[in-house]
Amino acid sequence: MYNNMGPQPGMPRPPGNPQPGPFGNPFTGAGSGFIRGGLGAYGERILGSSSEYVQSNISRYFSDPQYYFQVNDQYVRNKLKVVLFPFLHRGHWTRISEPVGGRLSYKPPIYDINAPDLYIPFMAFGTYVVLAGLSLGLNGKFTPEALNWLFVKGLVGWFLQVMLLKVTLLSLGSGEAPLLDIVAYGGYAFAGLCLAGFSKIMWGYSYYALMPWTCLCTGIFLVKTMKRVLFAEVRSYDSSKHHYLLLFLALVQFPLLIWLGNISVNWLF
Amino acid sequence: MTKEFAVPPVDFAGGSTAGANFQQRRVPTAPFQPPRPSSVSSSIPFMSFDAASAAASTPAGPFGGTIASSSSFGGGGYASFEDEEPLLDELGIRPDQIWKKTRSILNPFRINKTVHKDSDLSGPIFLYLALCLFQLLAGKIQFGVILGWVVVSSIFLYIVFNMLAGRNGNLNLHTCTSLVGYSLLPVVMLSAVSLFVPQGAGPVRFVIAAAFVLWATRACSNLVVSLADGGEEHRGLISYACFLIYTLFTLLVIF
Repeated sequence: MYNNMGPQPGMPRPPGNPQPGPFGNPFTGAGSGFIRGGLGAYGERILGSSSEYVQSNISRYFSDPQYYFQVNDQYVRNKLKVVLFPFLHRGHWTRISEPVGGRLSYKPPIYDINAPDLYIPFMAFGTYVVLAGLSLGLNGKFTPEALNWLFVKGLVGWFLQVMLLKVTLLSLGSGEAPLLDIVAYGGYAFAGLCLAGFSKIMWGYSYYALMPWTCLCTGIFLVKTMKRVLFAEVRSYDSSKHHYLLLFLALVQFPLLIWLGNISVNWLF
Repeated sequence: MTKEFAVPPVDFAGGSTAGANFQQRRVPTAPFQPPRPSSVSSSIPFMSFDAASAAASTPAGPFGGTIASSSSFGGGGYASFEDEEPLLDELGIRPDQIWKKTRSILNPFRINKTVHKDSDLSGPIFLYLALCLFQLLAGKIQFGVILGWVVVSSIFLYIVFNMLAGRNGNLNLHTCTSLVGYSLLPVVMLSAVSLFVPQGAGPVRFVIAAAFVLWATRACSNLVVSLADGGEEHRGLISYACFLIYTLFTLLVIF
């Protein structure tokens, strides 16, 4: 259905330039230079002492964000297909890992369709806000303040999604997946929401068909991804608890996405 | 009772002596110092503030004192009135540059990146004011909203471009804001045109708006990719980000 650009495990790997993995040195690349320049300056001003304190704290909570933006057109297209139609993904769902400097790190998104990225979530969030503004305007209720409220509502929804995933991981004993990974997984729901929103604008009644479909697809995608994350992160394998939590994850998508997709001026429906 | 004041004589000399005197200017003195003997008659009589004259007009005393001190600070760097730079040069606003850059956006199919190499923010400010003016004519007071959205969207484009470009991305925020601002020209034209297109969300409005949005997107993404390194292989991704930005502004215009 698509060409997976990365090598399958077992095949000889191309001699690529060493990309910093999520657990690697966070201070290479323009992204981390941005962090170091921008936030390091604040650190010096606020703390007075050297900015290393701030830098070490930042690196503990945020893995290198530049890893998540190593994308290209083909990856974006294929990943959107995976997110919107997850049952059509014929390949495996595990991320390809490679040993970098003695530690095991994952390949960047260009080489691995299963790696999370932050470009799609950000663009999907922006598209969601724009489409919401468009649908508000078509109903005659557009004001800039309403759009600001929708932006905040989207952020709250994203935050709730991230909290849900994080709590799922924590309750199974280990929450050590990098925060930006979880933020990326949480943001993929907006891609389905954009599809539903777009269909609502095109023909009003198709929304009622497409919304459950979106919730289902996002649920399946999250379940399959979190299953792999749990395999990688959690030590003990308690089968029933895992499965109940994953089922709960998929079921909670329904109210959450319906709340987010219901575009109106009020906070709650 | 009268007091003796050491007020220098005010000289309203006309004729040829005026030209000679124009070159000299009396150095303004600090408020409470005796007038210097070297100060000759000034060609600009109103500059001859003095402690004595300031004390003489007591109702205007503090006022005169502040004027004197401000004139002593303001008169500082220049030898004469003619050596001062013109106001626009001093502010850094170059109208011919602005006009050239604005004209280069008018043709989205041919990018002239050399004109935009030195970024400035005064052109975007003019375009922002023009957009706000047309919105005002349409009955919407959105000065703060548009300014906030321009700032947020230029930060957004800056982050996205530098993250995508990776190691060798070198777009800086000033250039980014300048490009986003100049590419608002199609949106400004759309808001001017939409004053005359009949109200109501008809398909005509949307088609015209879509055309202008695509114009602005193409201009902005071409400029951004050609001015900063590292963006060539991510052209489509960056132009989608620009598309989102200009659709947002168009929403303000058409609704």
